[in-house]
Amino acid sequence: MDAQTPAIEISGLHTAYDKADVLIDVSLVAKPGEITCLLGSNGAGKTTLIRSILGLTPPHAGSIKIFGEEIAGEQTHKVIARGVACIPEGRKMFPKLTVVENLRLGAYQEPSEAEIRHRLAEVYETFPRLAERRNQLAGTMSGGEQAMVSIGRGLMGKPRVLIIDEPSLGLSPLYVKENFRIIEGIRDKGLTVFLVEQNVHQTLAIADAGYVLSGGRLVAGGTAAELKSNAEFHAAYFG
Amino acid sequence: MDLFGQYVINGLMLGTIYALVAVGFTLFFGVLDVIKFSHGDVLMVGAFTGFTAAAGAAALGLSHPALQLAATVVFALAGTALLGAVIAKWLILPLKNAPRLNILLATLMLGTALRESVRLFYPDGSNPKAFPALLPTSAWQFGQFTLRVDSTILVVTGILVIVGLHLLINRTRLGLAIRAVAQDEETARTMGINYTLIVLVTFALGSGIAAVAGVMDGLYYNEINFGMGLLLGLIGFSAAIIGGLGNLYGAILGGFLFAALQMIGAVALPFASAYKDVFAFAVVIALMAWKPTGLIPERASDRV
Ligand SMILES: Nc1ncnc2c1ncn2[C@@H]1O[C@H](COP(=O)(O)OP(=O)(O)OP(=O)(O)O)[C@@H](O)[C@H]1O
Ligand SMILES: [Mg+2]
Repeated sequence: MDAQTPAIEISGLHTAYDKADVLIDVSLVAKPGEITCLLGSNGAGKTTLIRSILGLTPPHAGSIKIFGEEIAGEQTHKVIARGVACIPEGRKMFPKLTVVENLRLGAYQEPSEAEIRHRLAEVYETFPRLAERRNQLAGTMSGGEQAMVSIGRGLMGKPRVLIIDEPSLGLSPLYVKENFRIIEGIRDKGLTVFLVEQNVHQTLAIADAGYVLSGGRLVAGGTAAELKSNAEFHAAYFG
Repeated sequence: MDLFGQYVINGLMLGTIYALVAVGFTLFFGVLDVIKFSHGDVLMVGAFTGFTAAAGAAALGLSHPALQLAATVVFALAGTALLGAVIAKWLILPLKNAPRLNILLATLMLGTALRESVRLFYPDGSNPKAFPALLPTSAWQFGQFTLRVDSTILVVTGILVIVGLHLLINRTRLGLAIRAVAQDEETARTMGINYTLIVLVTFALGSGIAAVAGVMDGLYYNEINFGMGLLLGLIGFSAAIIGGLGNLYGAILGGFLFAALQMIGAVALPFASAYKDVFAFAVVIALMAWKPTGLIPERASDRV
């Protein structure tokens, strides 16, 4: 694997629920160490793309490579074992587990207890609030705190590729800003981030590259700077 | 006083057996939202496997009861754990997205098939088998009260199994994975949990625990028969329901409660003790009408 191998490389991807096609011939690349964003309005198919990568809704055609290795159709736990982690849409806490149990599940495939403790300490450093609340049931945390648990849980897996689905959904502007700052920090530590968002301006402000999905097809793509000035993109996204 | 003491021991004994059956129902319902009606018959298969292993060990010249007991427990546990995993993999997981009633019916039929197979194919399977007395037959005497060593060992063992299960579910990585799968299958997968493996392990675990109950039952009554799983399965299911299905501690509580009802029915009420099951089930029906979601409703407590 050389430096040029994309962290994620998707080509010709088709995914459907039962008979309804949701993704049509999607091809994209996420470079290592960058934030690549996927923009698109409600129902465009963004979450479906993530589900295809994770093997939750396997594609019926096309290829998905993680650092050069084909994973399309692989079982979810095997995809995760390749260094992928996901912060899912809507946080998806385990509400009746404590904060620390939720975090530990993020490192489920890590066998070393010492390493898990080390990662916990790192997460607590990023989110001191979680350290205070470690034995609280996650379901009783506030929305903003749950977002912290969800991000912390994603980081606990020490992934090479972190997939984040609409992290700012339902958060107050202050939290949204804080969230974007944290995501930037994650990238600056060398992780590859694949960020699904609807919040165009704030997303393009931190992203390196991006794509726009509309009705299951990619309608624009390029560097963040290109997207910002791309008329077609504005037409697709706002029109 | 002496008689009362015996009833308490007997009740504890039965309560432990019922609790061990009930936790299986709860575990299965927890991870897969299914009721596995063949659970009692899996228990019966466990008891027969243990019985066969004891006979086999004796035939091989292992005359010491402790060795025969070890063979009984090991084979009963391993056999039913495997059977449970096989049922999960080939019958229940394939039906996962079918209507819940289909799974109920399929496992009900499987239970009948297991029962009939033992009756027809086990040597002289339609007659009860005398389960060997593998535990010490001595007793301690406390004044009026006699405490049998074998009952004591059985109750203590059963309670240790329950405590062990509690620790497994709450203190280990496997237990955490089982609880995660029980709460949210898809997110559990996203954490990197091998969902199918956890389901199979859970079914193996619940079935193995049922085998412990089956062997305990055999050792206590010195008899097993092909139909023993019917009533034990029904009681275990009732115990899980009155405890609030999906709640481990509710199932345990339900098991002891059912045994207590039977004892009350046998001792304290003015009719013959043969009616104890009628009385206990009648109270269970009343309890279900009064608290449809069980004594410990799921909302107020952890699932599994
Ligand atoms: N489980 C499912 N079964 C059938 N159709 C589905 C399923 N999940 C999503 N869809 C459909 O697929 C399409 C794309 O949904 P998807 O969730 O991928 O959109 P999205 O871009 O993530 O939208 P949002 O921004 O609202 O989260 C929608 O039309 C949706 O109705
Ligand atoms: Mg979505």
